[in-house]
Amino acid sequence: MALAVAAMAGCATAEKKMNDLKIAHSAYTAGNLDIRYAHMALALSETESVRRFAETMIRDHTAVNDQAVALITKLKVTPQDNPLSQALVKGASEKRNELSALRGKAFDCAYAQNELGYHQVVNKTVAGEFIPNTTQPELKSLLTNALATFKVHEGHAGKMVEGLKCG
Amino acid sequence: MRLMATSRREFGARLGALLLLPLATSGSARAAGGRTHKVEIRNFAFSPAELTIAPGDTVEWVNVDIVPHTATEQHDGAWDTGELKKGQSGKLTFDQTGTQAYYCAFHPNMKGRIQVRTA
Repeated sequence: MALAVAAMAGCATAEKKMNDLKIAHSAYTAGNLDIRYAHMALALSETESVRRFAETMIRDHTAVNDQAVALITKLKVTPQDNPLSQALVKGASEKRNELSALRGKAFDCAYAQNELGYHQVVNKTVAGEFIPNTTQPELKSLLTNALATFKVHEGHAGKMVEGLKCG
Repeated sequence: MRLMATSRREFGARLGALLLLPLATSGSARAAGGRTHKVEIRNFAFSPAELTIAPGDTVEWVNVDIVPHTATEQHDGAWDTGELKKGQSGKLTFDQTGTQAYYCAFHPNMKGRIQVRTA
């Protein structure tokens, strides 16, 4: 968890005023990375609660990102890659390498704790940076709805961690 | 089954209600011409979360959230709207008296209840 989360928090702080296109890129990237974590969980975990959570992450983040694509298509704009997106990608790649070496309860706990930490930091960034800095009303509305979704995920991840009794 | 628009769903709830409440036969008389009650799924909640209806009435769940939800019988999944994406709705008709507790199978904290009773 630490690398991806720290990278994101650091970049969000360093780059105070992201524009709409950079915000859209980073929000989409964060969702896609969580989908990749979820596919890894479905491949490696046999625990029902972990698999159900992963399926929900794929379903929900796909729905949110599909709407983001529909919006940028409608607005005829292209999201801009940026240091935050790059840090997210790099951090997630490192975390996937770490997770891929784990099996059984060790994997379940590492995945669940990463999901909790990832959603905590993403939600803080969406609430504190993305939404206040977004100027396009429809993007702001989508981000607001997405934040409500991600907060539910954060709560769900917390319960998953508790249920796994990772200690 | 009535013809529905492609963005809406309808399910065989009469069968589901019969399967769910096999002991409730004494209160299962059909009401003439059932009403339809709408439950909105918004901000990860069913609204209204508690609903009282008459036997033969229909409940229609409409999802306005950006992510998919379900309305699924909580005890053993005896009835289920299936996945409702943004803008989709699902209808179920309840013929027998009793209490139906349900939740969203994707987001288990979302809960609702339907009381089916004669006036």
